[in-house]
Amino acid sequence: MLDKIKRHSATRGAVSLAVFLLSSTAALAQSTVNFLITHSDGRWESVIEAFNAQHPDITINVQVVPFADLVTAIETRVGRGDSTIDLFYADTPRIAAMSARGYLMNLDDRRDAIAEAVQSDVAMSMVSAEGSVWAYPLWTTSQFLYFNRDLLDAAGLDAPSSAIADRMTWEAVVDDARAAQQAGAPHGLLFEQVDRYYQLQALFESAGGGSGLTGEGNMTVDITNDAWVRAAEWYGDLFEIGLTPRGITPGQTTDLFARGEVAYFVSGPWSIGAFEAAEGLNYGVAPHPYFEGGTPVTATGSWAVAINPAAANLDAARTFIEFATLTEEGSRLSTTLVPNVPLHAEAMVEYMSRFDNLIPKIGPAMEIMAYELQNTAVPRPTSVGFIAFETEIGRAIGDIRNGESAAEVLADTQARLEGLLARQR
Amino acid sequence: MTTRRFSFRPLAAAACGLLFFLPIWWVAVGALRPREDIFRYLSPLSWRTLWPTDTTIANIVMLFQSDFTRALFNSVFVTVVAVAFGLILCAMAGFALAVMRFRGREFVFFLIVVSFLIPFDAIALPLFGLMLDAGLQNTYIGLILPGIGNGLAVFLYRQFFLGIPKELREAGVVDGMSTFGIFWRIYLPLSRPAHITAGLILFLFQWQAYLWPLLIAPDTKYKVAAVAIAQFTDNVEGTQYNLIFTAAFFIALIPMIIITYFQKYFTSSVASMGGKG
Amino acid sequence: MRVAKPTVLLAFLGPTLLLLIVLRIWPATAAFVDSLYAPRSDQISLDNYRFIFSDRVFQQSLMVSAIYSLIVNPLQIAMALMLALLLNTKTAMIGLWRTLVLLPAAVPLSVSAVIWGIGLRPDGPINALLMTMGIDPQRFLTSPDQALWSIILIVSWVGVGYWMTFLLAGLQEIPKSLYEAVRIDGANRWQTFRYVTLPQLRRTLTFVLVANTVANFLVFAPVQILTQGGPRGSTNLIMNEIFTLGFVQGDRSSAAAATVVLVTVVLAVVLIQFRMMQAPEDNAA
Repeated sequence: MLDKIKRHSATRGAVSLAVFLLSSTAALAQSTVNFLITHSDGRWESVIEAFNAQHPDITINVQVVPFADLVTAIETRVGRGDSTIDLFYADTPRIAAMSARGYLMNLDDRRDAIAEAVQSDVAMSMVSAEGSVWAYPLWTTSQFLYFNRDLLDAAGLDAPSSAIADRMTWEAVVDDARAAQQAGAPHGLLFEQVDRYYQLQALFESAGGGSGLTGEGNMTVDITNDAWVRAAEWYGDLFEIGLTPRGITPGQTTDLFARGEVAYFVSGPWSIGAFEAAEGLNYGVAPHPYFEGGTPVTATGSWAVAINPAAANLDAARTFIEFATLTEEGSRLSTTLVPNVPLHAEAMVEYMSRFDNLIPKIGPAMEIMAYELQNTAVPRPTSVGFIAFETEIGRAIGDIRNGESAAEVLADTQARLEGLLARQR
Repeated sequence: MTTRRFSFRPLAAAACGLLFFLPIWWVAVGALRPREDIFRYLSPLSWRTLWPTDTTIANIVMLFQSDFTRALFNSVFVTVVAVAFGLILCAMAGFALAVMRFRGREFVFFLIVVSFLIPFDAIALPLFGLMLDAGLQNTYIGLILPGIGNGLAVFLYRQFFLGIPKELREAGVVDGMSTFGIFWRIYLPLSRPAHITAGLILFLFQWQAYLWPLLIAPDTKYKVAAVAIAQFTDNVEGTQYNLIFTAAFFIALIPMIIITYFQKYFTSSVASMGGKG
Repeated sequence: MRVAKPTVLLAFLGPTLLLLIVLRIWPATAAFVDSLYAPRSDQISLDNYRFIFSDRVFQQSLMVSAIYSLIVNPLQIAMALMLALLLNTKTAMIGLWRTLVLLPAAVPLSVSAVIWGIGLRPDGPINALLMTMGIDPQRFLTSPDQALWSIILIVSWVGVGYWMTFLLAGLQEIPKSLYEAVRIDGANRWQTFRYVTLPQLRRTLTFVLVANTVANFLVFAPVQILTQGGPRGSTNLIMNEIFTLGFVQGDRSSAAAATVVLVTVVLAVVLIQFRMMQAPEDNAA
């Protein structure tokens, strides 16, 4: 009897030992993926939850840095071979420079899978450099002309048409914005990202001036041609004549429109959420304007996620990000709290259907967006020198909106950029 | 000659204090406003510009439900530790430079001066590499270490100790005190204003640090308040100024309490002992 | 005093010196070495220096930094000294007023910049105040003529109370007996200040002068957040240029060269200040 008990407990011991060993190997296999993002913590939670349901052995640890510090964090941490970052947001125009510096893992072996998920050549080109793929396309963006119905009514103006064929010209927008301002609108026209190249590139392109970077590898600066100067002067005039207020930052513009102080506002689909939450805001959406005699162009930019080649958990990192970008479920969930457009083709269809109930109120925003993404969207140029270009253009636009001569500022900027880019060739 | 007893001084003092406080008051008022009201009363000026209406504590609730609470705790913790160690070490180094005679003293003092005129942000990159190799990323040590050795605090102590009459030191030697005894029992007790001002240097270096914590402690667990507040400039729905204002108010409130408490120690020590030099 | 025992000396000086060498001097030396290599080159050269000195933006940033320093340092020290003299009294609630003047230093600089950015907006409360006083609204940060002054206003709001605190500590250390002595001699307020306060405050003033100069050379958060160096480079302090080159544009070798230039300039200025404030007894201890 005693013998039996002894044997029994021995078996139990062996079993529990085995369970212990198993659980400890399971604990060892538990890997953590660090993901560097710029959106506050909770916004990735639903994706992570759904992922963990399938992969309980991978913990996703989100590290948030402010948007303005993302480049600093990547330059320093990934640049120094910090293995505690596995995944990070990669701004697509910087992909050329970052891949040249070895910050991004080559994804050529996943090219087909990525292409199948996004079904968009533009999206593929944005994550490519030197013929290779370097990041997973995550979200895309587009631009609308938002307008405040009440302010336009007060000025006796018709709301802009939502039909692509009736797209307004900038000249007409300026006239109407002036009229609205005379009728009491505090501000006539405002670009959400007042001093960022991302949103203003469309102006230069629409005027026929090109992106500003040309030639082999987009390393030649071309920002002093007539069209660039004209578009820049036009933009500076908005501030000079008081249609657009000086001295505000991109972070403050959305609130201005939401509070009903702006007649026309240029921004992306992500603003719909904020405007829906704003009490008493009666607004609508129209296609992004163009310059008379020029071509309609809209800004677009995609968010992508790259893998740090020095990452501690390459496989786990890849498993997670492929769930988030290459499956319909992950891609859809990633845009529940971040109001950007998912790049996964099926998820995008679902995303657009979310706005159906808003059509009577604001117009067919998603129909407009789908058209723009297909036909007028121009991404920022891919170039090793893009970082320097974007920084200096940002400074130049800042000067121009503060009333400096556009021609002079652009000439100075051209000279400086030539010096900076010569060092990066 | 001294008949003019009435003085405008208390009035002028109050006016200066309030003038400096005004922007912080405005922040505090903003913290109690709903988000859409933050910029509502900027212009034209009215009593509402500086007085909250439609008061809400929603911002405060929201703030302390976010990971800012943890960040604020981290800030307090790393700052307290850095100040405690920094004061002792910097005072000792300042004592050595002011009191001890040794070869190369001038050179060491030169190094100390150079150390505080090196822009810390500009050397963050090589320093980050060093700390990464030492495995100090996402640790409190990594956050605290650069804040302990502070050339400016050493310099301050040196200046202060130079002003302490050497007769006191000689008396200590006559009494058979060791060097450490002289430092601990004569110099430190006489240096309360130096402790407070050096403490202020160390405190603000750590409390204000932004770039270094951003790099060395990116994990939510180790995030400090100055970094956490920047997150409210989220680019999804525009900047959440209501939360920035609320967080800024609490970040200023803690030093305010500490400084107010230490004001009473901010009185003369050496001066009360009579003439010097 | 006799020469110190090496063990005692090491115990007092060692830990701090080690920290400063490892965490400040060594990384700075690494930056110096970086500055000698042009991008993608393994040859030691002065290319980076040649580049920054031929770059008009960098040249301008040197100029802007010089003008800024010449204005901001005397201004802050004078204001801090006046405040310290004013608040060096024992009236009721004086502790509160001192705390309130110092408090701006405790607000994260990035937040101070944001607050003042809103305050100085063309449609902001400061212009609203000017208008109620019958003054035309000003452009502040959006004007090349006013932007640097606006930055000076912001950093002074932050810094003056801080420097005042050091001077206040210095004032507290002046023996009351000295004041009594000159009062008996019939000295007026100015004479008291000139012949008692100022000489007695020399060590503290040396500290404040040096530390303030260094701090103002190194500050750049308000510039980075509010003007990015503009309009037309009018606020492009050298430290902002270093940060932009190094962390935004990723041109680390230029940033390193610019850092070396900055440290050299600050060191030269500080050494001159030491010489000016030198008194014989400092080295006789």
